[in-house]
Amino acid sequence: MLSAGRLGAVLRGTRAPSSSTVARRCLRVSASRPAADESERPAEPPHAFDRALLEFLVCPLSKKPLRYEASTNELINDELGIAYPVIDGIPNMIPQAARMMAHQNKKQEDTEQH
Amino acid sequence: MAAPRSCALWGYYGRGWSRVMRGCRLPGLRSSWPGSPLGARLLSQEKRATETHFGFETVSEEEKGGKVYQVFESVAKKYDVMNDMMSLGIHRVWKDLLLWRMHPFPGTQLLDVAGGTGDIAFRFLNYIQAQHRRKQKRQLRTQQNLSWEEIAQKYQNEEDSLNGSHVVVCDINKEMLKIGRKKACAQGYKTGLAWVLGDAEELPFDDDKFDVYTIAFGIRNVTHIDRALQEAHRVLKPGGRFLCLEFSQVTNPLVSRLYDLYSFQVIPVMGEVIAKDWKSYQYLVESIRQFPAQEEFKEMIEDAGFQKVTYESLTSGIVAIHSGFKL
Repeated sequence: MLSAGRLGAVLRGTRAPSSSTVARRCLRVSASRPAADESERPAEPPHAFDRALLEFLVCPLSKKPLRYEASTNELINDELGIAYPVIDGIPNMIPQAARMMAHQNKKQEDTEQH
Repeated sequence: MAAPRSCALWGYYGRGWSRVMRGCRLPGLRSSWPGSPLGARLLSQEKRATETHFGFETVSEEEKGGKVYQVFESVAKKYDVMNDMMSLGIHRVWKDLLLWRMHPFPGTQLLDVAGGTGDIAFRFLNYIQAQHRRKQKRQLRTQQNLSWEEIAQKYQNEEDSLNGSHVVVCDINKEMLKIGRKKACAQGYKTGLAWVLGDAEELPFDDDKFDVYTIAFGIRNVTHIDRALQEAHRVLKPGGRFLCLEFSQVTNPLVSRLYDLYSFQVIPVMGEVIAKDWKSYQYLVESIRQFPAQEEFKEMIEDAGFQKVTYESLTSGIVAIHSGFKL
């Protein structure tokens, strides 16, 4: 899954291959990552959370909808006060991996020893 | 580890295992807990203090999840190579067959559980795209006076070719998901695909969301199969279909003998040589023997609330495809 910006660039590139957008894209790439050459596929492309998933995702414990918090990159269940991390674009929906927001995290860690 | 001994073990553990499974049904646990997720986890862990099997080993139910995780973490990198080697490539045919049985239509929302490496998801996307292309060709052939531009436009629009079809891959193992997503990037799958780290027994998806639920070579490794089946039922839309591809019981005695010999004498050796991991592949073959036979698994699916449950044995019953509907 590509980040929104990258996806946009790719789409633009395929639909209207105008030389100016391509040039601009190359410029941007070389400006942000001087080491990377022009090869289209870097080894580890950055992955962003796909917000379309929110339509399906719920908290595995309460089965209630979740809110995506972009600043911390977490999916939050406000009712229970737990946050599920999004790691490299993949939401981690295992309750044991979740973070308790209001209370301390210690109790939870005790329960997940296996 | 001779073949006859393994047969005896299969018979014994097969029965013992099903008793364990039947005994640990916990209806209403999820709805009855008081509000704190920690409370719920503690409660469920207390109740879960029964024994289950990890291959032929007897382990506590809490242990099984961790052990299975280690197995798949360890085999993730060699998963595809090993599947091809062990099954002589036949696993591809089995997976293709699963897609043919599914016969998804444009717009199908699929949840593929335990499908970390993307085998089913990619096949699904290919299937929908191929179907769309065939349809488009037919349409273009029947239309007259089309400009080249119009034709080119029809061929270029990749997103349209999925017609809103979407597959969510849910796997409990990070390593397997990583491999799957790397493959997706390498093979150019961009749209209609999402990856979620989640537990089949506690799916992080809303009720009535998916048209099809698939689990291919995964349910065998779930600690509480009945719970996974109930979750499958919950997330499917009314009219939705459950499809499971899993190892099953070989009925033909001659094939069974050969299969046992191959499983116990050859596969762990292969695992050691190729993946440098005897234990994981020993678990693999043992877990296959533990899994209930076709009829018994069919009953389990029915117990979870599915209707019109059928199964089809493939390759003498080495694997079976079970199908059921949420009606």
